[in-house]
Amino acid sequence: MISTQAKDSIERIFYKAAQSRLPREAGDSCEIVTIPQDALDAAPEARVVVLTISSILFRLLLILQFKDDAGTRDYFVKDVADNSFQEIFSEVANLCCGAMNQELLNYFPDLGMSTPYLLSARCVSHLQQLNPGFLASYKLTLNHAAQVTATVCVCAHAPIDFVADLSAVEESSGELELF
Amino acid sequence: MIEQYLVAALSSSAVTAVAALTLHKLRSARTIARHHAETGTQVEAFEHDAARQRESIERAEQERQALETLNLDLREELAQQSDLLAETRVTLKAAVDDKDQWAYQAKKIADEAARLKSLAATFERWHEQMISLMTQNQDMHEKNQELSSIVRHVVIVSLNASIEAARAGSAGRGFAVVASEVRALATRSEELSKSYRDSLHKNDLTTTTTFQDIQAGGKMITASLGSVEALANQFQSKLH
Repeated sequence: MISTQAKDSIERIFYKAAQSRLPREAGDSCEIVTIPQDALDAAPEARVVVLTISSILFRLLLILQFKDDAGTRDYFVKDVADNSFQEIFSEVANLCCGAMNQELLNYFPDLGMSTPYLLSARCVSHLQQLNPGFLASYKLTLNHAAQVTATVCVCAHAPIDFVADLSAVEESSGELELF
Repeated sequence: MIEQYLVAALSSSAVTAVAALTLHKLRSARTIARHHAETGTQVEAFEHDAARQRESIERAEQERQALETLNLDLREELAQQSDLLAETRVTLKAAVDDKDQWAYQAKKIADEAARLKSLAATFERWHEQMISLMTQNQDMHEKNQELSSIVRHVVIVSLNASIEAARAGSAGRGFAVVASEVRALATRSEELSKSYRDSLHKNDLTTTTTFQDIQAGGKMITASLGSVEALANQFQSKLH
């Protein structure tokens, strides 16, 4: 149902969103490698942030798992006193999914995005029950310190075929601007 | 002599009279001739004038007929224009009525779209119910975790019972069978607990993704209704 070029476009949209929204500082590196589904960490205590983008034709799930280690905590939580670790991850995941939503709006005019929700990482292994047309997982390393695992799952209700043109230069990274 | 004188006088008088008469006649004839000539000239002038006037009358008559024809044409044209104007007025009135009707419909669409945007609250309410469902799921996770812990403990107890039964020798054979059976039951319970945990995780995923789909779909519908409202308002403002 999802054409090869549409799958490639979704992957490129995810790459662009992750590389523009996950690094906390401009210039931080963001390495992304594809990993198999069974390589996901499903420790009993591990949590993932789930977000959904819905359209008439499909729904896209973006699932981000932030590794609960010192390197990842230090990278994301520094300079933030009040928010909890999970709240910050939810906010970062929300920004990343928002960037994907913004890009997809160029090809699908009717889209809506959910708020983030935390689930056990063990839920990710059951994504096949949603009968996805596209399912891929990635390991992201930010600034050689923080590690994030991402899963993109697209369930289509109709044939999807589009080619994303990501050549446009992004003007804003989405952070708050104070005047 | 006198008679001669008288005859001579009479003769001369007669001659004079004849001469005078002749002269008078000549003069009269000349006068008459002159009058004739003048009268002829005047008659010719009158005839000429009469001819010119007849021509003028004919031209005037032709002009009058032409004017009557023109007047008739103009009346017909006026009647046609009046009919056309009446038709145009009817058409214009219909167009104005249609325009008012369209403006009314556009306002109704905009109002309806604005009203339906409040559906977002309904979608959010459904999404909040997900939190309630997920809390119940979490409670079941914890109970299953507790059950799993008990089952693990039962396995250990049954193992200990088996060890104690073995120590008791032949007297503990029956107890060993019971301990083995308890361990088998505990192992099955453990598998069941794992299966139940997997089911709960599946349930968590299905519940979350379904309610997120509802929430995101609600936002999509709300955004679309916003577009419809804006378009209807634009259309309405163009009609006024």
